[in-house]
Amino acid sequence: MAGVPAKAPRLLTLGLVFALVGTPGFAQQPDTAAQALKRMSIEQLMTLEVTSVSKRPERLGQTASAIQVITQDDIRGSGASSLPEALRLASNLQVAQLDSRQWAISARGFNSTSANKLLVLIDGRTVYTPLFSGVFWDVQEVPLADIDRIEVISGPGATLWGANAVNGVINVITKDAKDTPGLLLSGGGGTELPGFGTARYGGALGARARYRIYGSRFARDPSVLPSGQDAPDDWHLGQGGFRLDWDASTVSRVTLQGDLYDGRIDQLSPGDIAVSGGNVVAKWGRTISETSDLTAQLYYDRTHRNIPGTFGEDLDMYDVELQHQARLGARHDLVWGLGYRLMNDNVANTTALAFLPAHVARQWFTGFVQDEIALVPNRLHVALGTKVEHNNYTGFEIQPSGRVNWTVSPSATLWAAVSRAVRTPSRIDREFFVPGQPPYFLAGGPGFHSEEELAYELGYRHQHGSFALSAATFYSRYHGLRSLEQVNPPAATPIVIGNGQDGESYGAELSAAYWLTPRWRVRAGYTELRVHIWPNPGSTDTSRGLTESQTPDHQLFVHSSVDLPAHVRLDAGLRAVGKIARRQVPSYEELNARLSWQPTARLDLSIIGQNLLNPRHVEFGAPGPTRREIQRGVYGLLEWRF
Amino acid sequence: MAFLRRVLPVVALLGAGHRLAAQGVRASEYQVKAVFLFNFAQFVDWPAEAFPAPDTPLVICVLGNDPFGDALDQTVRDERLGGRPLQVQRYHSVDEIKTCHILFINRSEGARPEEILAGLKQRPILTVSDADGFAQRGGMIRFVTDRNRIRLQLNLAATQAAHLTISSKLLRVAEIVTRNGS
Repeated sequence: MAGVPAKAPRLLTLGLVFALVGTPGFAQQPDTAAQALKRMSIEQLMTLEVTSVSKRPERLGQTASAIQVITQDDIRGSGASSLPEALRLASNLQVAQLDSRQWAISARGFNSTSANKLLVLIDGRTVYTPLFSGVFWDVQEVPLADIDRIEVISGPGATLWGANAVNGVINVITKDAKDTPGLLLSGGGGTELPGFGTARYGGALGARARYRIYGSRFARDPSVLPSGQDAPDDWHLGQGGFRLDWDASTVSRVTLQGDLYDGRIDQLSPGDIAVSGGNVVAKWGRTISETSDLTAQLYYDRTHRNIPGTFGEDLDMYDVELQHQARLGARHDLVWGLGYRLMNDNVANTTALAFLPAHVARQWFTGFVQDEIALVPNRLHVALGTKVEHNNYTGFEIQPSGRVNWTVSPSATLWAAVSRAVRTPSRIDREFFVPGQPPYFLAGGPGFHSEEELAYELGYRHQHGSFALSAATFYSRYHGLRSLEQVNPPAATPIVIGNGQDGESYGAELSAAYWLTPRWRVRAGYTELRVHIWPNPGSTDTSRGLTESQTPDHQLFVHSSVDLPAHVRLDAGLRAVGKIARRQVPSYEELNARLSWQPTARLDLSIIGQNLLNPRHVEFGAPGPTRREIQRGVYGLLEWRF
Repeated sequence: MAFLRRVLPVVALLGAGHRLAAQGVRASEYQVKAVFLFNFAQFVDWPAEAFPAPDTPLVICVLGNDPFGDALDQTVRDERLGGRPLQVQRYHSVDEIKTCHILFINRSEGARPEEILAGLKQRPILTVSDADGFAQRGGMIRFVTDRNRIRLQLNLAATQAAHLTISSKLLRVAEIVTRNGS
């Protein structure tokens, strides 16, 4: 503007801005962070990390915990082609691929394909199966372009998040429909991905409602056996869905969304594995006042899986939740909620194995309350809360936690937490029989009760300008871990499932991000982890925690993302994962890379290389001629927006 | 009293800082975008006819749903640029726009900006949006949120056509884009 002197932008980092606010002349307006932001130069504003619109500050349950956030941009840059691949971006998770479709994913150890101490949510819908408290990762195919972010919390989150959040929570959050307008076509193929494609359209219904619909289909090539031959596990899946976001009024909002899928998977035994299912989720939120907010959620989820020769399952889940948040006075921020879940599970037993009774209906009642108390406002906050749950197997369970968040300086935060969490029984712990008819080798777990954890955590977070560092350390004690107990010792069989093991785990999770220049970002993560498991006196378990300790001692990740001239971007991610000694899985290093070119805002062309360092490698599983190996892969991807 | 007047705002500011820190030193997206708009006011020269009088206010307008809440009003409150006060106006259609120097177009409207831009008839108005492809489709500045950071894309041909002069400070940090096809 003519004749207007520009305010001299100062080269200060945000931290310095706050250090300098005491200077006379600046202390004119008793205003908010807006004043501090206005003191920053444009360059500084561009390196500042922003949160997308959220009406309320983050809860202490998140800030005072080991949280890592995977953004949409991180996912794009990684070249991930599935949700489990995207989860490799969180260095506080242990992610291992078994074959073309099976994954072992856990936090803080206890990893397996049926890892059972992790809560996984997609837009508020629980996706772990009550069959074994784990996740069938092959049917969690959220279109990656629709994901807004994935929050990964390692450590117990049971108080706020709910059952199964013993060692962590994965919270997949998809974009609001208003952020996905127009038509998006994407597709491609390559050596391990013979062909895939997604079409998405977003539009408006009147002035206040936005929707999107999508359909996608993909196929995956088989993994290989140690002999180099293809393993029979190639598969394909088709999926479609929708999301509607409606600002019903200035104070209330409604979201309705759903998905349907159907897939076929090749297997060693005769007959293909068939998977299908669907879900519909309704959410309603209302702002009651400046200091009070109410949300309600209702969902129905159906899954069908038929593994010829092994078992089949039809599962219906109905879930309703209500949550209320209210600020009380200047110091208290209270959140409480109620929930009810009904599961109707019907297993088709085979001669190989049986769940008895075959058909069960189970109910869960939950309630939780947490108070966040500002002991010294904006400096020292404490959150105290508990979850109370009632289930059909063990009755009432109490999961309390205490967290404290101390803002040491504008750039540094210290946090600590003590939590109790339980893993309540799932069907496999109580009702699992092998073979499918007497005499049984494994005869259920009539006395199995909840596994208990007491966790102590201490963390530090630092952000200064374009550098961010986070460190979390933990020590956990476990009581009553799952074991296999002889019924008539010393006879080796039959056995039943019991709670004969105790254990401990400890370790540290480090992550850091640094913007070398405004166009070049580097991230790194390192996790060190130890798990020890031992039998209790009187236990006849001889596994010494074999199935519970398939976790590498350490893993390292480094990602680099750089914007080059001419709309070209280059991303590379290196991971180094330690050996899993008890399964003779050797340590490995692998590299993923993506080169993309965006000639116009509408078109994006990229080529992605996955697992580039080795022709094939092993990540998980018992040694033997049928252990699967993961191959190097290259694929091309084209995205077109209208 | 004088002591209190000095100290209280500092305490309030520290409080604001700690709130940011408690959130991992993240600022809200639209609070930062509001400050960007305020910065643009300082780094753009408008032609003389845009300001008939020396005290004509500099007007920042929002077209369509307002994503800023009160962040934009807070940012410009009590600010003056060379004697001009700053004002915020909100409009629902391009035909309603009267005096306006910086026009922020909501993401949903900005996704198909041709009609809006045609409605402005190359008046000396700096057009800004965070919609995909905004600058390539004839808009002037687009906020690109990239890895939780905000970058700027600038369409120089569009600013020149509206007789706006962009300061080198802004040119240096923005990515210069051209219309589709070139």
